[in-house]
Amino acid sequence: MRLPAQPGERLDRTRPLTFTFEGATVEAFEGDTIASALYAGGRRVFSRSFKYHRPRGLLCCTGSCPNCLMQVDGAPGIRACIEPARAGAVVRAQNVLGSLDRDALAVIGKIGGPFTPVGFYYRTMIRPRWAWPYYEKVLRNLAGLGRVDRHGRRTRRFDTEHRRTQVLVIGGSEGGVTAARAAAAAGEQVVLVDEGLSLELGGLDELGIEVVAPARAIGIYEGGLVPVDAGNVLLRFRAERIVVATGSLDQPLVFPGNDLVGVMLPNGIRRLVREWALRPGERAVVIAPAVEPIVDDLRAAGTEVARVFDLNERPPKEIVARGRKGRLASVRVDGETVACDLLVMSSGRQPAYSLLAQAGARIEYDAATGIFVPRDLPANVEAAGSVAGTSHAVPNLFPASAGKRRFVCLCEDVTTKDVRRAIAEGFDSLELAKRYTTVTMGPCQGRLCHLASVRLYARETGSDEAAIGTTTARPPWSPVTLGLLAGRGHEPVKHTSLHRRHEELGARMMWAGAWRRVHSYGDPAEETRAVHRAVGVIDVSTLGKLVVSGPDAVAFLERLYPNRFVDLKPGRIRYGVLGTDAGRIMDDGTIGRLSEQQLYVTTTSTGAEAVLEWFEWWNAVWRMDVEIVDVTGALAAVNVAGPNARELLGRLTELDVSPDGFRYLDLKEAPVAGTPCLLLRIGFVGELGYEIHCPSPLAEHLWDTLLERGADLGVRPFGLEAQRILRLEKQHIIVGQDTDSESNAIDAGMPWIVKLDKEDFVGKWALEHLQERGPRERLVGFELDGAAVPAEGSQVVVAGRPAGRVTSARWSDELQRSIGLAWVPPALAEEGSRLEIRLNGSLQPAVVRARPFFDPEGTRLRS
Amino acid sequence: MKDIFRTRRMWRPRGELKRRYDVVVVGGGAHGLATAYYLARNHGITDVAVLEKSYIGSGAAGRNTTIIRSNYRTPEGAAFYQQSVELYKGLSRELDFNLLFSQLGHLTLAHSDRALITATERAEVNQLLGIESRLVGLDEIAKLCPELDLSTEVTWPVLGALYHPPGGIIRHDAVVWGLARSADRRGVEIHPYTEVTGIERANGRVTGVRTNRGEIACDAVVSATAGWSTLVADLAGVPLPITTHILQAFVTEPLKPFLDVIIVSSQMHVYVSQTDRGEILIGAEIEPYTTYRGTSTFPFLEYSARHVLELFPQLESARVLRQWTGLCDISPDFSPILGVTEVAGFLVSAGWGTYGFKAAPIVGTTLAELVATKRTPALIAPFALERFSTDTLVSELAAAAVSH
Repeated sequence: MRLPAQPGERLDRTRPLTFTFEGATVEAFEGDTIASALYAGGRRVFSRSFKYHRPRGLLCCTGSCPNCLMQVDGAPGIRACIEPARAGAVVRAQNVLGSLDRDALAVIGKIGGPFTPVGFYYRTMIRPRWAWPYYEKVLRNLAGLGRVDRHGRRTRRFDTEHRRTQVLVIGGSEGGVTAARAAAAAGEQVVLVDEGLSLELGGLDELGIEVVAPARAIGIYEGGLVPVDAGNVLLRFRAERIVVATGSLDQPLVFPGNDLVGVMLPNGIRRLVREWALRPGERAVVIAPAVEPIVDDLRAAGTEVARVFDLNERPPKEIVARGRKGRLASVRVDGETVACDLLVMSSGRQPAYSLLAQAGARIEYDAATGIFVPRDLPANVEAAGSVAGTSHAVPNLFPASAGKRRFVCLCEDVTTKDVRRAIAEGFDSLELAKRYTTVTMGPCQGRLCHLASVRLYARETGSDEAAIGTTTARPPWSPVTLGLLAGRGHEPVKHTSLHRRHEELGARMMWAGAWRRVHSYGDPAEETRAVHRAVGVIDVSTLGKLVVSGPDAVAFLERLYPNRFVDLKPGRIRYGVLGTDAGRIMDDGTIGRLSEQQLYVTTTSTGAEAVLEWFEWWNAVWRMDVEIVDVTGALAAVNVAGPNARELLGRLTELDVSPDGFRYLDLKEAPVAGTPCLLLRIGFVGELGYEIHCPSPLAEHLWDTLLERGADLGVRPFGLEAQRILRLEKQHIIVGQDTDSESNAIDAGMPWIVKLDKEDFVGKWALEHLQERGPRERLVGFELDGAAVPAEGSQVVVAGRPAGRVTSARWSDELQRSIGLAWVPPALAEEGSRLEIRLNGSLQPAVVRARPFFDPEGTRLRS
Repeated sequence: MKDIFRTRRMWRPRGELKRRYDVVVVGGGAHGLATAYYLARNHGITDVAVLEKSYIGSGAAGRNTTIIRSNYRTPEGAAFYQQSVELYKGLSRELDFNLLFSQLGHLTLAHSDRALITATERAEVNQLLGIESRLVGLDEIAKLCPELDLSTEVTWPVLGALYHPPGGIIRHDAVVWGLARSADRRGVEIHPYTEVTGIERANGRVTGVRTNRGEIACDAVVSATAGWSTLVADLAGVPLPITTHILQAFVTEPLKPFLDVIIVSSQMHVYVSQTDRGEILIGAEIEPYTTYRGTSTFPFLEYSARHVLELFPQLESARVLRQWTGLCDISPDFSPILGVTEVAGFLVSAGWGTYGFKAAPIVGTTLAELVATKRTPALIAPFALERFSTDTLVSELAAAAVSH
């Protein structure tokens, strides 16, 4: 049912296509929207309303109202009036029980009305309390519009593009096109973004103007960022000048029956007729200011114009629309009843100022034109065309009449009566009433209801629009999908340069932050045995690694750490604990002095980024002569540990590895297996050990050589699980696991690293205070009677109350005991103190062990 | 039921300010109104004015993401919030106003070994205090939330979760309105659009407040002003160790029921729930910078969307309807600052960061008790301002970060 070809219509009648609606085939042409094709096929009901399930038909045809929201290819909330018809699209109605034409839930609107006034749910269903979950289930099922597939996956790929231009024009309205042309003529680089609703964009590219359409500006954010939804691409625009030309929006009149199917806005008529060659109805009544263009459109479509009321001449005192089964049948205006199936109505046009308001413009009511207009635009933001406030609307038009419902807000089914009641109940400011009645909070974001609700407020409270003001214009200006915002759906995983080797060895991997690390190569207990009896190798490449150099390098670290470094000789290493301003433990690691002015700092794996930021921040604050280079990714690291470690290392290097030649806490640079390496003799796992740092690309070679040449020495790769057991046997802490955001080095049993006699360091005042105050809790080792191992996080219980917590616990094969670390009250922190630990709901006795469980003298470590 | 057929005022229209009140509450949000309500209800103190610079509930009370829970990490925190949840459970009946409190259950996802340890610790502390809270594995998570992506081939696979069945969501505005109505009916005066511009003191005691509508004499001032806490305390000459940050949130267009449990992921920096209206409500971590400027940012939408889709890929086509921000008052140890200050008669409820809303009823009862009896209730003693000079902090970072 199409009209003959219209001048400038969007249809390409040579290219028909079909899609389905509720399973039935719908015919369309290229250039149709889903709504226009359905309208051509005779469909008039496009949705059911949110609360009362009233039938609703096309109203604005510009994507501004909630009346045509549908499910398209599984995606909810699609504005069918602006969604291009695609061959094969699967379109369904949403929020109906049954079908659009017979929705069983319409019963709510028919008989539920008196029981469901505004805010009824706050006043009902309170007693009995146990019944609320059942009521709620019903409410939740009734609420909501569209549906998402509960078990759906990501199906589309979205990308993000960062764009710059001199001038960004938002909106292809007449004002926008004029501004774009002028800017292009002045030699500026111009991009024009348009929703695809404008027809006059031809020829712009010849002027060098880039037209992005169909696309929607999402908002104007901080720093002039304008993200644009261009289908599968999110364009993040930054422009020297932003021209907002979003035009103005038809504002509906509020009268009984104003939501009937067949009541439409002028722009909707214009688009149906001119763009899609459709006859909007057979017999029409027009009530609007500026009626001529509407009448022209209707006549062009062959619609009989039964009666015209020009609001500019004489606003009617009474308007009542009557319908049959939700469809418009007649309109009574000031006592005169006219039968019709179409009512084109408007109270005028309101500037679509939201983007300007987001950008920082002040919004002010202009009594002369009856609209809200943007004022005091921020620098570099301009308004062009009717958005600047050149339109007008007929003020305070609420034709009196009793009885039927008059909808102020179509999205939320809020009536004038609801608003009146809210005010009478005391919700007498616009923001309060908005939250109570939910007017303007639906999918239209106030486009069609904000002005009307402000007018109604003004009227009911005996105030005026200027005094009532507006509510905050919250972004986004047009709804945007999470998929587009998210862009590509992945977060990178980090692999060390030895990852492939671990996979080849059949390692069980685990997640340590974004890193994938080796949990074990099969049997963690076996791996600990290898370290204690022979030699083990572990990939510790994830450690943070920083080179700190410059004349002030030592002084810089001296200020950052509670440790002392001035006496650290080149070639020596010290364990360091990094503290916050409040003296809390932030990270730990080793600091090795490479030369007078150069130090090598390692951090924990998870703390690497934070420590780098921390260093850089303080470097910026103190302005010392220090250079910090992050070599975390550049260097791989392998720890070789166990009684046979010296023998193994000796086979691979020329270096003197004798106990006197390479002492505990020595740092050396030397080739190992032909690879330039940095060697740190330290012992996190409690045995004689060397941490070998080498360039990442050579790590596999180093690793292979270690395993190959150590075969007869019993070398074995070990994973994090074995390392956790081994370090626990030594009571070495893991920052972040054994410490929390309030732990400090003194309470954690490391007072020896805190040099309070230093002039100053970060957190010194706090540690002094903590020293003076004495510990509130202490970190100690414990052994459990029996073989049970408490879960990490278990509680130390005193008199039935939580009094401390287990931070680490493991079974030690070497010691044949269940061991752990726990924070306990100072009174329970002495060697031999008895503890009770809650394990699977019952209390287990444990004994405090203040010294390392394994090799307490450290003779093996230092051997 | 009767109230749906007749229109009854919720509260009296704003009247003139009197020259004197026994107690002035600064801030017409959930904490201020709860304090006023419990002063009247529990202690018969009704000569109370609640001063609000905008409309009631315009600040954090109307901007939070409405989650109520008590599965905190420290015994002090957990015990405190446990009582708050208990009070919330009975509050709809008590106020005769349906606050739409739904105890849907609350899942804090663990994506790492370390997060599992924290979850275990919270579960253990909670159980010892009688709070329903336990560690659950993937099978149970799949039952509680079949929509959640539990596959292992993602960067941050779910390894387990802390499950807290009593955790729920509530209609935040209703809490404000219900408390305001009941406080008003008991004689408390509520003064919206009344801004405090000064706090009068003499001999180390509060004697009154100055407002944009005139001066008021009073014996006690309770400041419950969240993001503006430091500014109000400054008026009384009390420095607070608090910084103000913004916290952002957004909702999607309403969807049919999709999510029947609250999902929190610290790793993903998001929490997700579905309101009774059907909107998917998504919040994030506080922004790292300090500001009083409540402007929404676009990068927030981008990273939140990215993280939400890691958990719920099927929300790809859901559309963001509205985003907003609120101000959060962050204390050094992420625990609140509650009770007396060095200025006699000047009491604060501050430092709530991202979780003040869930404490409203317990703050109200304890502060009211403090005002009435002049003794600090044991429950809030650990949260005294004094702890920053004695360094007896209460570390809630682990349970506060994105655990709304």
